[in-house]
Amino acid sequence: MTTAKTSAARPTRPLQERAALPVLLGPSVLLIAVFVVAPAAYGIYLALTNTQLTGFAAQDPQFVGLENFRNLLGSTDFLASLGRTGEFVLWSAIIGQTVLGMLAALLLRQKWLRGKGLFGALMLLPMVVPEVVASLTWASVLSSEDGSTFNRLLGLFGSGAAAPLQEYPMTSVILINVWRGIAFAMIMFQAALEDVPDELLEASRMDGASALQVFRHITLPLIRGPVFLYLLLTTITTVGVFGLIYFLTQGGPGQETEITSVYIFQSAFKYSQIGLGSAASVILLILLTILGMTYARLAKVEV
Amino acid sequence: MAATTTTEPGKATATVGSRPRRPAWAILQQALQYALMVLLGLFCVVPFAWVALTAVDADGGPTVGLPAFTFDNFVRFFTDGATPRLFLNSVIVSFAATALNLACGVLGAYALSRYRFRGRRTFMFAILLIRVIPPPATIVALYLLMVKIQLDDSYFGLILVEASAALPITLWLLKGTIDAIPFELEEAAWLDGSSRFGAIGRIILPLVGPGLGAAAMLTFMAVWGDFLTPLVLLQSPDLYPLSIGLFRSFTAFNQVDWGVLAASAVVYMAPPAVLYLFLRRHLMRSSLGGAIKS
Repeated sequence: MTTAKTSAARPTRPLQERAALPVLLGPSVLLIAVFVVAPAAYGIYLALTNTQLTGFAAQDPQFVGLENFRNLLGSTDFLASLGRTGEFVLWSAIIGQTVLGMLAALLLRQKWLRGKGLFGALMLLPMVVPEVVASLTWASVLSSEDGSTFNRLLGLFGSGAAAPLQEYPMTSVILINVWRGIAFAMIMFQAALEDVPDELLEASRMDGASALQVFRHITLPLIRGPVFLYLLLTTITTVGVFGLIYFLTQGGPGQETEITSVYIFQSAFKYSQIGLGSAASVILLILLTILGMTYARLAKVEV
Repeated sequence: MAATTTTEPGKATATVGSRPRRPAWAILQQALQYALMVLLGLFCVVPFAWVALTAVDADGGPTVGLPAFTFDNFVRFFTDGATPRLFLNSVIVSFAATALNLACGVLGAYALSRYRFRGRRTFMFAILLIRVIPPPATIVALYLLMVKIQLDDSYFGLILVEASAALPITLWLLKGTIDAIPFELEEAAWLDGSSRFGAIGRIILPLVGPGLGAAAMLTFMAVWGDFLTPLVLLQSPDLYPLSIGLFRSFTAFNQVDWGVLAASAVVYMAPPAVLYLFLRRHLMRSSLGGAIKS
């Protein structure tokens, strides 16, 4: 970290008023400890109990050890939700956002291309609007009514009306999440591409390499680190997507879009199984940690 | 955006220059790239057509079409029953949480930047790591915790949670900004008789502006747009922010007032949009740039 380096270089001065430190840092530490760290720790404890929101177990929760975990790992509902999370992350984040974001970033590097400023600003729109607005917008776009945006587009190709959110729910939410995430990928890749020297690209083009070859063998290896960092970040964010799906489908129809974040919410707040929901959170976090470490290994960055 | 994409003697010139034999191919390639740009741009913008058109449509539905132009939807949003309350709630919670976040953030970041104490770096990395946990994974425990300390279903509880959630980012951002302010300036102020806190007020606060702007914007946008936390923590409709209000009126089947809903969406987008326009340059330069490079 650059910041750490500069502070180490500065000679440590004898600071008077050492007593001011708790006053300065105290509020931040307290807030983070109570509202960020404590819930995380409390969640691990809850996962080992049969706590419920209502009913008998709400009055007197019992310590049940690993029973919640046993139940979850034997539950087809939960395992299916994990599978759907994987599908959601793979198609929307790792494939959709990455490919389209990279294309957008490459376009923004073309010097001769006119209208890049407008293009860049438009690409940012889906990312900066609040989650609920994004969901509402797509609810209308994909509405089953004849005049919805999507059905009008279908009409241009002479096709009849469709109800994508009911007929292809998973594909729909994946598409929507791609839409929302392109901008972040674009920004990350744009910053990474700035570090690729133009002379190198030009030289390889002179040598007769095609644009695709240049990208595959010159550009991509050079931005390997940022790409894996992006994959790590987007995987974490995408696993945590909740509002978009809950707003549009609430996990349905049936359970077709019930990814694990929705499963956790439903089991805790709809079926009042706090213990079970917490255990599901713990399992999700463990899987996420393993995945994160794999990325870090692949990117050859030391953690 | 345009400023970040300079100096490119690039592929196009190389293509055109090095391969004079195939100008047609080069033109086709350029045309394809333009087509791709237009398609991507449309993909990002076209979904908003409905919001824009229906918000000013007298008889809007979930469909797109030419509106019967009116501002009635906005008038109804700001005068009808519960909707002004939603807006007010969002404003109260977002401003209070941002203010609390920045106040704690400046002091904390100052300590992290200027003091050397044991566990400082561990603390910095720990708060960054804990931010990585997806919110749905801790929301269940957070809810129960808030019930236990009787802060659920209240402004105060929500403000505390939102301010804390954004605090790690604020601390990191502001620490970076304060690191860049020469220590000598402060020493000079001390020699002039300022106390430590006096020097913070006179030297640090005026110079920490850009970082503060970026932190303010990131925090405000995060709180303003948050859906999950208020959904879980608030039960009284009196306290609902816009995000929950929009969700509730959308899921009230059969009686959805699409015009007002679209108008609400526009109103909901306005404050972040204004803030974004004001602070865009700061954000691009200090937060994203810095975060990515480090």
